[in-house]
Amino acid sequence: MTKRTRIPGKEISKPVYINTRLVNYYWQRTSRNKLAVFGLVFILFLILLALIGPSFTADPTLVDFDEKNMPPVGFTNIKSAYHIDTNEFTTTEIRGTGKHPLGTDGKGRDMLSMLVSGAMVSLQVGLIATGIALIIGTILGVLSAYAGGWVDNILMRFTDIMMTFPFFLLLVLIVFIFGPSLAFIVLAIGLTGWTGTARLVRSEALSLRTREFVTAAKALGATDKRVIFHHLIPNVMSLIIVIATMSIPGVILAEAALSFIGLGDPTVPSWGIILEAGQHSLDTAWWIAVEPGIMLFLTVLAFNFLGDGLRDAFDPRSSV
Amino acid sequence: MANHDLLEIRNLKKYYSVTAGLLSKKAGDVKAVDGVSFTIKEREILGMVGESGCGKSTLGRTILRLEEPTAGEILYKGQDIIRLDKHELRELRKEIQIILQDPDASLDPKMTVGDSICEPLVIHNIGDEKARAQKVAELIQQVGLDVNCASYHPHEFSGGQKQRIGIARALAINPRLIIADEPVSALDVSIQAQILNLMVDVQEEFGLAYLFIAHDLSVIRHMAHRVVVMYLGKIVEQASKQELFQNPLHPYTEALLSAAPSFKSKGKQRIVLQGDVPSPLNPPPGCHFHPRCHRAMPICCQEEPELVEISAGHFVACHL
Repeated sequence: MTKRTRIPGKEISKPVYINTRLVNYYWQRTSRNKLAVFGLVFILFLILLALIGPSFTADPTLVDFDEKNMPPVGFTNIKSAYHIDTNEFTTTEIRGTGKHPLGTDGKGRDMLSMLVSGAMVSLQVGLIATGIALIIGTILGVLSAYAGGWVDNILMRFTDIMMTFPFFLLLVLIVFIFGPSLAFIVLAIGLTGWTGTARLVRSEALSLRTREFVTAAKALGATDKRVIFHHLIPNVMSLIIVIATMSIPGVILAEAALSFIGLGDPTVPSWGIILEAGQHSLDTAWWIAVEPGIMLFLTVLAFNFLGDGLRDAFDPRSSV
Repeated sequence: MANHDLLEIRNLKKYYSVTAGLLSKKAGDVKAVDGVSFTIKEREILGMVGESGCGKSTLGRTILRLEEPTAGEILYKGQDIIRLDKHELRELRKEIQIILQDPDASLDPKMTVGDSICEPLVIHNIGDEKARAQKVAELIQQVGLDVNCASYHPHEFSGGQKQRIGIARALAINPRLIIADEPVSALDVSIQAQILNLMVDVQEEFGLAYLFIAHDLSVIRHMAHRVVVMYLGKIVEQASKQELFQNPLHPYTEALLSAAPSFKSKGKQRIVLQGDVPSPLNPPPGCHFHPRCHRAMPICCQEEPELVEISAGHFVACHL
């Protein structure tokens, strides 16, 4: 053991996130997986983009019909027009300009600005919905495992019932009833998406519950609440982090899919909404659909890579 | 040594019912602890030996009410533990503590060592943060570790060190009685001696009583003042250490003693027990030990021997 000069007992309570040694250890294990590092870099880039991007880009809602369907820089597009006064049909070739580096959509809105503000929407949806699902899933899972007996039975049968609901149809139903508001969509995804988490957390907590440190805590007089919040939940935390990174892309995709079939919130420019608008003009302006598609693809990929890397890093049996 | 009885156990029973079949029909009882009575005086080390599965650990856990006893009385300072409500039980936990067998599993892997040792103080709301930190630092030094250890996690320590931490945690709230459930059986022989000596030291320093559970007679010989020998949930012999080791009366004790390696036993005949401990679900009739006893008589398989006092303080349950 290396000696460190430190005031004894001064920092006896130290959660993982400021425990630099442990964080370093996990970072070392994660960083050995190059794809996970790519994922992390991309996600950080995305967060930065969503947070400070909008102050550098143009207003994504600015409509300018003179500049509609402008291609991205380096691409050209044939624009046809019918002139009623001369009864002529003209075609002109337009080039992408620096003003709209990623082109414009059918209403002349700047694609770059729309994608940047869409990043915020997708991240919000992913994080909030996953957060709701994780909190519900963790609490139910730990409670179920710790209480056992009939409590466990009821909670797990309830989980089974929730699992048998076709999740997507339920979403469609909720949107149909309450209208396509982003808040409802996020809430609906969160309130239906916890079942897998509950199961995984329960099985982990079941094995923890019989470990001797739980016995020791009980022998010390710890209340059930203390055992659950100070011993069980911290020990399932690494599992939860992995579940979170793995389920965020699913949620982002679900929102995009809802938007794509026309059930998204039309007032919020999410990537799914842009994609949906672009699919109608794929033959005239392909970039409107392709650009948000690429963003979705990369985001989902990045979260999945990071999730894989974290899972391996947290698993002491894997030799990364 | 005070002659005060600290803990008195009267006819304690712990049965586990075994169910079988579709309708969970009761198939029988596993009599893990079957009518055990003994006392522990203040500042006394009572050793308890027996093979695996004879009910030693269950007994220890039952005294702490980690398992609910089926019948019997557990009197601590004259107060029946079994009748205590939740609040009183918490108070009791300040008086009786446990040291568990597996030092690896008995510490929460996500907690720093300082937090683990501090936990009993937090649970019982003793002292403010500063006083607790002070106490933790004191305890860590008392069990022979470096003060800086407080900020490390358990996985950074060896088995022996972890057991020292476990001892420090048990000592934190100044208990009167410690139930040591095979505290050294998971350790190296060289480390065992250190831990045992530490336990003797703190016993004198804190004025503790121990119920020292072990399956290793040499450990018991080193530690105990009095010894209880258990077989299949029952006490078969109980005597002071000197008396038991010099004048064992029960054939089972004889066999155990002859199995312990020693320099003096040259030429002495070893008594090798045949077979395994019978199932406690279906114990043999009469004396439970008779199928394996080298001195069994016809009466042994019919009548169960009572635990009788042969000489002062020496009890034995045998027809011999």
